[in-house]
Amino acid sequence: MHMADALLSVPVGAVMLGASIGLIAYSVKRIKENDVSEKKLPLMAVSGAFVFAAQMINFTIPGTGSSGHIGGGLLLAGLLGEFPAVLTIAAVLLIQCLFFADGGLLALGANIFNMGIIPCLIIYPLLFKPLVKKAASTKMLSVVTFISVVIGLQFGSFCVVLETLFSGITELPFNTFVMLMQPVHLAIGAVEGFVTAMVLVFVYKIRPEIIESSYTGDKIDKNISVRKIIGIFVVITIITSGVLSLFASAYPDGLEWSMENTAGTAELEADSPIHNSAEKIQENIAVLPDYDFENGEGSGTSIAGIVGSAITCVLAFAIGGIIFTVKKKKSTTEK
Amino acid sequence: MADIRSKLTEFYSLEQMSLKNTVIHKIHPFSKLISTIIYIMCVVSLDRYSFQSLSFYFFYPVITIALAEIPFKMIIKRVIIALPFCVFAGISNIIFDKTIIFSIGGFTLTGGVCSFITIMVKSFLCVASVLILIATTPFSKLTLQLKRMYIPDIIIMLIEMIYRYIGVLMMQADSMMTAYKLRSPYSKFPHIKDMGSFIGQLFIHSADRAERIYKAMKCRGYGTLHIKQIQKKRMILNDYIFMSVVCLSSLMFLITGGQLNV
Repeated sequence: MHMADALLSVPVGAVMLGASIGLIAYSVKRIKENDVSEKKLPLMAVSGAFVFAAQMINFTIPGTGSSGHIGGGLLLAGLLGEFPAVLTIAAVLLIQCLFFADGGLLALGANIFNMGIIPCLIIYPLLFKPLVKKAASTKMLSVVTFISVVIGLQFGSFCVVLETLFSGITELPFNTFVMLMQPVHLAIGAVEGFVTAMVLVFVYKIRPEIIESSYTGDKIDKNISVRKIIGIFVVITIITSGVLSLFASAYPDGLEWSMENTAGTAELEADSPIHNSAEKIQENIAVLPDYDFENGEGSGTSIAGIVGSAITCVLAFAIGGIIFTVKKKKSTTEK
Repeated sequence: MADIRSKLTEFYSLEQMSLKNTVIHKIHPFSKLISTIIYIMCVVSLDRYSFQSLSFYFFYPVITIALAEIPFKMIIKRVIIALPFCVFAGISNIIFDKTIIFSIGGFTLTGGVCSFITIMVKSFLCVASVLILIATTPFSKLTLQLKRMYIPDIIIMLIEMIYRYIGVLMMQADSMMTAYKLRSPYSKFPHIKDMGSFIGQLFIHSADRAERIYKAMKCRGYGTLHIKQIQKKRMILNDYIFMSVVCLSSLMFLITGGQLNV
């Protein structure tokens, strides 16, 4: 689910980065107020590294032959509490992006949002926590965890779809994309939910104090009203969709999508009138560079352009090659 | 299991590489960081059909990689990781975008193919530029730059500590997997029903370790003195030149588009 740079436009990347930074700053503030920063820091850090290591362990998904690994957002939230979990997952994603090319640097904000903010700051406090408080048995704990992970992953993958489409880089129609992404992530979510539930139950059985402290230890919890959090998210959504629709004007269908999105009709029929009209508008207005291509006038320049770009690439690699060989020669003569 | 080993070697090789002493390594981390960000932004902003101007963006990674002596194999490896989703999105462009750009003889180039190539090239360039940053800058110096950008201490400490412990815990996971395999030689690793206790075990080990780390840190005076003794390296002329060349050329290629080609 890690998004790459190449599929994201700068405005979408920047908006997502802004939203993520804002929420991370909020989490830092909460942690400082809680004054758990100092004592919890090593646990947070080691948990981050733990998620890293746990992601290396691929397990086979029964019946499919493919394999998957845990995502870790909700797992961390369950173990550490929501605010430390957000920071930890953000740091993990940064390191993954820098060292393993898993997700891009520009896409970092989007990735933090999809895989960190959604499970830790939306699903965990609004779904997991209220349910777990009522859960009396470990069975209930695992059921609640399972549901939360699945829902979180569905939200996350839906955000991936929206972010990619707003960026306007892929031609994939909205409904096809959703139909591809959601079921796949339902399967992944089911397995991840299952494993996460087992891990939480296991840790709960052996060290109940770790899990209990993550959701009963935060005494300030009663002070943060759920309303406040929802309010923040409403504001962010409005700002995000507002800014996005401004930038999406180059791709008129983007606005259409965001409207549908806020109207809450996520399930789109392939031949819904709005979608058809959006497609028509796109065909007529969008992607202006098409025009000179379509008329055929631009063909001459584009052949020249292709040849030119090939020459440029060759030139770039030639310079690189020369530097490389010169350096190699130098090092061998020095030896 | 081989997966963990290879990731570990990759992890350590990057660290070793960042300690080399080439022209690129000597450039101030801040100027490299800013250059990388601007470069990626420019590459990503390019229009989906404009591979004319995209070709100019090859200069920065290719030249820098040669100067910094980064093995080319490494980039290919990283690009492969980033690729699956890009290919998936790119192929859909080939299917859905049938705009004909031009045709010579029997060969027609459609907009879809064009944008597919653009997406692939873009992902290559972005991955390469991040690799350049990380392979030529020691991680601790990079996190210092975050401090410069007023990122709270807690996040920086967290990032640094996670970075330090990834190697240790990956080794732990690796040896746990070896133990598992030795005990159950005929089963496929690991059975999903064991996953919970397996990962849970790993977490409990981690938590114990965290406690020991915390105590050790306390013993060494953690929390009593502030880390203010950071020797801030100043940016010199070379750093400014590097930064402005990369940023301005990236912006220039973006603004002028393919026109430079004609």
